[in-house]
Amino acid sequence: MAKLRHLAIACKDPDAMAEFYIKAFDFKNVRTSDGPLAYGHHLSDGTIDLAILRFKTDQIGKGMEYTGLHHFGVLVEDIDEAATKVGAHGGKHYMDQEDQHRVGGFEVKMYGPEGILFDIAEHPWTGSEPLPVPEKAKEAAE
Amino acid sequence: MPKLRHIAIAAEDPEAMAEFYKKAFDFVEVGRPNGVLADGVFLSDGTLNMAILKFKTDQLGKGMDFRGIHHFGILVEDVEEFTKRLDSLGAEHYIDQGHGGNQAGYFEKKFYGPERVLFDIAEHGWAGSEPLPIPVKQAAE
Repeated sequence: MAKLRHLAIACKDPDAMAEFYIKAFDFKNVRTSDGPLAYGHHLSDGTIDLAILRFKTDQIGKGMEYTGLHHFGVLVEDIDEAATKVGAHGGKHYMDQEDQHRVGGFEVKMYGPEGILFDIAEHPWTGSEPLPVPEKAKEAAE
Repeated sequence: MPKLRHIAIAAEDPEAMAEFYKKAFDFVEVGRPNGVLADGVFLSDGTLNMAILKFKTDQLGKGMDFRGIHHFGILVEDVEEFTKRLDSLGAEHYIDQGHGGNQAGYFEKKFYGPERVLFDIAEHGWAGSEPLPIPVKQAAE
C-alpha cells in the first residue's frame, strides 16, 4: 500500500518554526534546502518528512501570504502507475519536480479533489521510512 | 520519539474526497467520526490516520470556506509532559477533545504552534494509525 510520508507547512519563518518542532518533539533536522520552489528545513520523526518551508510561488492558489499546512506526499511503488491511477480518478497533474538533493530526485505534484495538492514519489523523502517490504518478497528472500 | 500519526483535511464533500484517496492509493476506511467539531471519514495507510472532515467551526481563523490540509496530530507517550513542554515553548492551548465523549479511550489536546499552525497531541493512537514503537530497552526485556 502507498504510504503518507511527507507533510509540508507554509510559513514565514522556517528557521524559528523548525526550532520549535525540534524542541517540542525531538524531531531531527535532516536537511535544509533552498530551491526554486521554497526555502526551509526538513525534519524527521523517523517515519515522516516534515518540511517547514517558505514558498516562492503560490502553488495552492491561496496567495503568497498563506501560512499553514500546504501539501502532503505519498510514497508509492511505481510513480507512473500511481500518476495514471490518480489521473483516472480525476486528479490533475500540476508539475514534475526535480530535486537534486533527494535520492532519486523526482516527484510528481498533483491536485486531488477540492484542489488539495499532494506529491507522489517512488524514492523516500529525506529522513522518511521506505515502503515496507511486501510479505511475498520477504518470504522469497528467506 | 513522538510520531506524526494524523493528518486532517478540511473538505466540502468528505465522502467524495475519501473515495478518491481510497481508489487512488488503496487507503482503507477505518471510521466515520461525527463529533461537535467535525463529521467525515477516517482513512488509514496502515501508519497514519488521514481524517477527511467537514468542520463545524472555524478553528484556524481562515473562515468556514477554508479547504485544504487543516491540522496534524502527534502521538506522544505522555500528554501532560508534552503539554508542559509546549507551554514552555510558547504554544497556545486551544481545546481538549474527546474526554468522556463518544470515542472511548480517545483524548487529544489541540495547540497552536508558531504562526498559528494547529496540531493535536494524543497518547492514544488515532483510528488505523500505528502505535509508538516500543523503546529498544523495553523490547529487549
